[in-house]
Amino acid sequence: MGVRRLLPGLVALCLGAVLARWVARVVGVNHLLVAIALGVIVSNVVGLPDECDPGVATHKLWLGSGIVLMGASISTATVLAVGGPVFLVVLAVTGLTLVVVELLARNVFGLTERLGTLLAAGASICGVSAVVAVAGAVRATEDQVAYAAATVLLFDAITIVVYPIVGDLLELSGAVFGTWAGVSMFSTGPVVAVGFAYSDAAGQWATMTKLSRNALIGVVVLGYASYYARRGDDGTASVRTLWAEFPKFVLGFLALAALSSLGVFSSAQQTSIEHAYNWLFLLAFVGLGTEIRLADIRSTGLLPAVVVLLALLVGSLLSLTVLSVLF
Amino acid sequence: MSTSIERWRLRNGIRARWAALERDWQSVVVGATIVALVSGLGLPIPW
Repeated sequence: MGVRRLLPGLVALCLGAVLARWVARVVGVNHLLVAIALGVIVSNVVGLPDECDPGVATHKLWLGSGIVLMGASISTATVLAVGGPVFLVVLAVTGLTLVVVELLARNVFGLTERLGTLLAAGASICGVSAVVAVAGAVRATEDQVAYAAATVLLFDAITIVVYPIVGDLLELSGAVFGTWAGVSMFSTGPVVAVGFAYSDAAGQWATMTKLSRNALIGVVVLGYASYYARRGDDGTASVRTLWAEFPKFVLGFLALAALSSLGVFSSAQQTSIEHAYNWLFLLAFVGLGTEIRLADIRSTGLLPAVVVLLALLVGSLLSLTVLSVLF
Repeated sequence: MSTSIERWRLRNGIRARWAALERDWQSVVVGATIVALVSGLGLPIPW
């Protein structure tokens, strides 16, 4: 893709990032939430020119790059100390959410099997990315993908607002809040934004927890592909799927965390890297905001939304209770 | 003359390799480039 095609959108993201930073300083609100709000306002009220679309679509690249750089700020000693039990919570909540959505969708609300599967993947693993990954493996129709993606985006928008309010009301520590957001919210972008909006510690815990959850996507895609293939529904299953679906930027994050724990970076270098990922997250969240189209969210069906809401409530309450005891 | 052709070839080669990368690997490359600039060249990044 030519740089010229990307340029208008990249300039829009940069302007949005600088503006978000300035507004956040003046008003005293978290810069990442301002960036998302700015993106939502621009795309829903003013509207972005079509020429900006390719450049704005790079926002996922900046989010991934920011997460890679965040590895340099991670305290590996803390992760090793608490990581095991937290990973068990991740596994338990992911599995529970998947089962609850599947059971409710099929047995209580009578949704089609594939729509239930897409909603289960989106709610339990990593939002729209999981919906798209599983859709390919189970040969879902475009309508089902659109429906499931809109439902996930609806809850991304709701949880961005609700989670910090609940965290403040319950006076949760950064570790509890971050892990709770990472284990129970849907898409990676909103999890990172909400975590860092709460506190730096919460942001780091939220990102680490969410990454470990995202790493399960290969297993879930493989499981669903095998299930639909066995039923003769033309799905395909392969061990290669595990690697194909694995989010590779996690490897960059782990490599930097390892280098950092070996003391490779000076404190000045670590500060610069921290500033770099803050800017990358700003670019990413302006772009993420532009993807929240209120018209699309309004088109979400009521039944899929109820199914996902019930699963979110179960997973959220259970994980919060366990984490409050754990930390 | 030959240097400008070599530069053009190099630029095209880099562009083709970049386009062939998965987005996740592109994220790793961007991150690694920033780390190299910060730690290798001492580039300070303001906030």
